[in-house]
Amino acid sequence: MSIKDKTWFPILFMFLASVFFIAILVVFGAFTQPRVQANERIAFERATLQALPVELPEKANPAELHEIFTEKISDTVIAKDTIYLYKEAGEFVAYALPVNGPGFWAPIEGVIGIAPDRRTVTGISFYEQEETPGLGGEIVNTPFRSQFEGKRLAEQGIPMEIRSVDKELDESSVHAVTGATQTSTRVAKFLNQHLARWRDSIWESEDVRR
Amino acid sequence: MSGDKTIGQIIADGLWSENPVFYQILGICSALAVTNLVLNTLVMSAALILTTALSGFTVSLLRNVTPRRVRMMVQTLIIAFYVILFDRVLAAYWPDMSRSLGPYVGLIITNCIIMGRAEAFAGSNPPFASLLDGFFSGVGYAFVLLSVSVVRELLGMGTILGFPVSFFSSAAWDRWVIMVMPPGAFFTLAVIVWMFRSIKKKGEDRQAGGKK
Repeated sequence: MSIKDKTWFPILFMFLASVFFIAILVVFGAFTQPRVQANERIAFERATLQALPVELPEKANPAELHEIFTEKISDTVIAKDTIYLYKEAGEFVAYALPVNGPGFWAPIEGVIGIAPDRRTVTGISFYEQEETPGLGGEIVNTPFRSQFEGKRLAEQGIPMEIRSVDKELDESSVHAVTGATQTSTRVAKFLNQHLARWRDSIWESEDVRR
Repeated sequence: MSGDKTIGQIIADGLWSENPVFYQILGICSALAVTNLVLNTLVMSAALILTTALSGFTVSLLRNVTPRRVRMMVQTLIIAFYVILFDRVLAAYWPDMSRSLGPYVGLIITNCIIMGRAEAFAGSNPPFASLLDGFFSGVGYAFVLLSVSVVRELLGMGTILGFPVSFFSSAAWDRWVIMVMPPGAFFTLAVIVWMFRSIKKKGEDRQAGGKK
């Protein structure tokens, strides 16, 4: 009776095959870890700069973006939230507020920029999402994002409503993505949680301006 | 299925006579999900071709030592291994592509074409033939999906690969938004499967007629 006929052979084989393939993945994963982390950091920095009224070169490479970010953006912690401050030649220009929450398929991470009046939105950008491409995934594209520029957060109630496209807009609302009700509802939910928190605990706090 | 197909047969089967999508009706969920934009389809197809080819190769290498009772677990392990490796390579060296591929990684592992080729071909054929078989099944999948996505993006958005197409992006064309939404996938895929099957049947009838 050869080893292949033993009843335990399939178990041993499966175990060894798993160890072999997983070992390769672990080694490769560890080897690429620094690069992957650097890429994630760059994605965040790019999103922050896009949400702010920063002038970016036409096609900035990661190194240039990182340089601009390091030069102009600093962070500060207010009421346990990290807020980013954008300064141009020492002059304060805008806040950047990280926003995140569950999307339809996977968590969404983004940044919203807010002017020194603490009410006017300068822009929004998402750097981590796995929404349906062509539908929910459209939140990363200009048509959806550019709606936010110049909008003002409502002083009461929902700070920034996302309404379906057949509804009228006011200065504190934008249109949802057609065909992506789930994504739009979820973005509206977490975005407004963060904005309400900004309005209620940070809006009036003097520590923000430093 | 015979154990010794010629290379020409493997290519013809993968691309046409046993095309995974319109003949075997495999991989339909991803054919519906990723065909709303041509770019998405290209990315998905490239990933699928690589995974099917390499996993076929590996399954075939191990085919004589793999116990029959755990062969499907081994196949799943190998497929998942390549998909994770592929995802990781993109995340490290091509982050932009990784971001647009993100939602599809899970879909690739569960794509029944890969499992189907591993089970139907790679398990009983030599490694190089399995590599070719996987590759051309993937290409067969890709060309059907590209046909679907070109129709959907053109009618739904008036563009191809994001570039406007003169008539369809003008005001004269009222964009059929439904085409880039899920129902559009069902309509288009059904029509395309019907078309390809009719063409294929015509060819076969003619061949059969010639022999008489």
